[in-house]
Amino acid sequence: MPCTRSVSLDAQAFLALVHRLAQDGQADLFLSGTDRPDESRCVIGFAPRAELILDEGTTRANIAEFCFEAPGPTLGFISYTFGLGLRGVRSEKSTDFPLGHLKQYGAILEYDLTSGQGEIHGSDGLALDELSTLAHARLDSPPPFSPPPATAVQQSMTRDEYEAGVRKTLEAIRDGQSYQLNLSLRFSRPAPDLDMPGLAMDLWQRHPAAFYALFHSGPLTLLSTSPERFLRVTNGEVLSQPIKGTLHFERYTPGLERQVTESPKESAELSMVVDLIRNDISQHCEYGSVRVEDHKSTFVVDNLVQMYSNVRGRLREESTVIDLLLDAFPGGSVTGCPKRRSMELIEALEPHARDVYCGSFVIIRGKRDMDSSIAIRTCWHDARSKTFSFCAGSGIVVDSDPQKEYRETVAKAEKFLVLGTA
Amino acid sequence: MNAILIDNHDSFSRNLEHLLAARLGHGPQLVSYDDLPNLSPHGRDLIVISPGPGWPGDYPGYGPWIESGVPVLGICLGMQIINEHFGGRTDRLQGCVHGKTEDIVFLGHTRTVARYHSLYCSKLGPDLELTAGNAQGVPMAFRHRTLPVMGFQFHPESFLTDNGGEFIDHALHSFGIA
Repeated sequence: MPCTRSVSLDAQAFLALVHRLAQDGQADLFLSGTDRPDESRCVIGFAPRAELILDEGTTRANIAEFCFEAPGPTLGFISYTFGLGLRGVRSEKSTDFPLGHLKQYGAILEYDLTSGQGEIHGSDGLALDELSTLAHARLDSPPPFSPPPATAVQQSMTRDEYEAGVRKTLEAIRDGQSYQLNLSLRFSRPAPDLDMPGLAMDLWQRHPAAFYALFHSGPLTLLSTSPERFLRVTNGEVLSQPIKGTLHFERYTPGLERQVTESPKESAELSMVVDLIRNDISQHCEYGSVRVEDHKSTFVVDNLVQMYSNVRGRLREESTVIDLLLDAFPGGSVTGCPKRRSMELIEALEPHARDVYCGSFVIIRGKRDMDSSIAIRTCWHDARSKTFSFCAGSGIVVDSDPQKEYRETVAKAEKFLVLGTA
Repeated sequence: MNAILIDNHDSFSRNLEHLLAARLGHGPQLVSYDDLPNLSPHGRDLIVISPGPGWPGDYPGYGPWIESGVPVLGICLGMQIINEHFGGRTDRLQGCVHGKTEDIVFLGHTRTVARYHSLYCSKLGPDLELTAGNAQGVPMAFRHRTLPVMGFQFHPESFLTDNGGEFIDHALHSFGIA
């Protein structure tokens, strides 16, 4: 019997609750940050009752059936690697990472960071009771996060190799194969006892961003600290917010944004992705509904100024959010343009599998309602190999400087790289 | 109108589809370049050849479509494909341009258009007439002297192009199918 219970939690109590839930391993967290007042919705899935693990054979119909047959939201992720199959790009790389993992839950907590108000709903009475009890308990604040000892970080490419990859990309661009291509590095390090829930809470407080996720997938614990929305659909109204154009700063000064918005290179990068996203949502949007608003808006996250735009459209009556998501996947801001050719080039240039990196975390509520992020600034712990891994990358355009792109890539990985060394 | 848009594995073809839908009043048939051998130009009123990655030589098979007598509009790579068909040449563009606008003079008016290209028509086919170039002389638009064939190097379907639909209207009027 579905039912709804209200809950009121201040910021400290909410932090204590989600930390406890994450530690117990029975909950997946989708958290907004305190950095953007317009993005304050958090969704916690508690007591998973059904799951769909994606592999090469998973079809669109399988995913739609899983998401739409039962009431209640579906939470999870779809990996970049699954996107290779969707776009018809061959990959020779092997991976033991699931191609995606979707779950439904016995109980869901929806919480608004701004108002401090939340609602618990779901179909499993026991899970509802348990979650309500925890939400009303006075839980201890999480202890300070104790990072694991620093261990040597391995990179999928050395600095020289990455810069050579950038130069090869530039040659492909000059040859008309691509206009823009996102080239990434994968980092990994031994981490036998990494406290991922503790890390998640620590980063969430110190580096808030709008699209945090902490998700359990078998031996893997995934943590995304993404600031980027991929696709939101609200009653059929589609919104994508591609980010391009980055400026790293040590100390913020007003007007810094103009260095990004007035840069011809950064503006061109964003414009390309906006045209690409327009294209990608157009397949399932009504004629005449696709438009660009607030071109070259900015926000600040992690000592970076980031530029973005709003691309909007109206979902066609005969299409669902799964059609939209899978046909626009992976997000254009992390592939390149034209997308398929750029993804083929990425497969040849990058020695590593991207796995969840540059895929998406998703909250699917119904055929015309969803939200999703681009899984950048994302790390994961693998209990089998006892390793901690993450990727970072940069968008390469014709006037990119290989050394600068390497520095930008490392800057984006910094909060994971410094773990245990501070 | 029976319009077909042939997609050369591009990521702007759906933008072009929506732009054509806005001008034609209905969407064109959108097909992949891979399906070209299974399709015929006959009975159609308009053929649009999309942009795409790579060189015209990577996309054989357009000859019968361009020669069919059905009006043909080529955008970016599509324009370069038409140009090579009529004996023109394609080369790398020094300082290629992606995601940037430029003002060009088209039909006597200054127009702001979006450019995305690494390659350009370095020599036009003898039967092709330049109708717009940029300040450096890079061909931005041409038409065939006798056939209903037209090419745009810039991207009317980009959100960066002002009133991109007017370029489609111009093509339709020139072809006598508006």
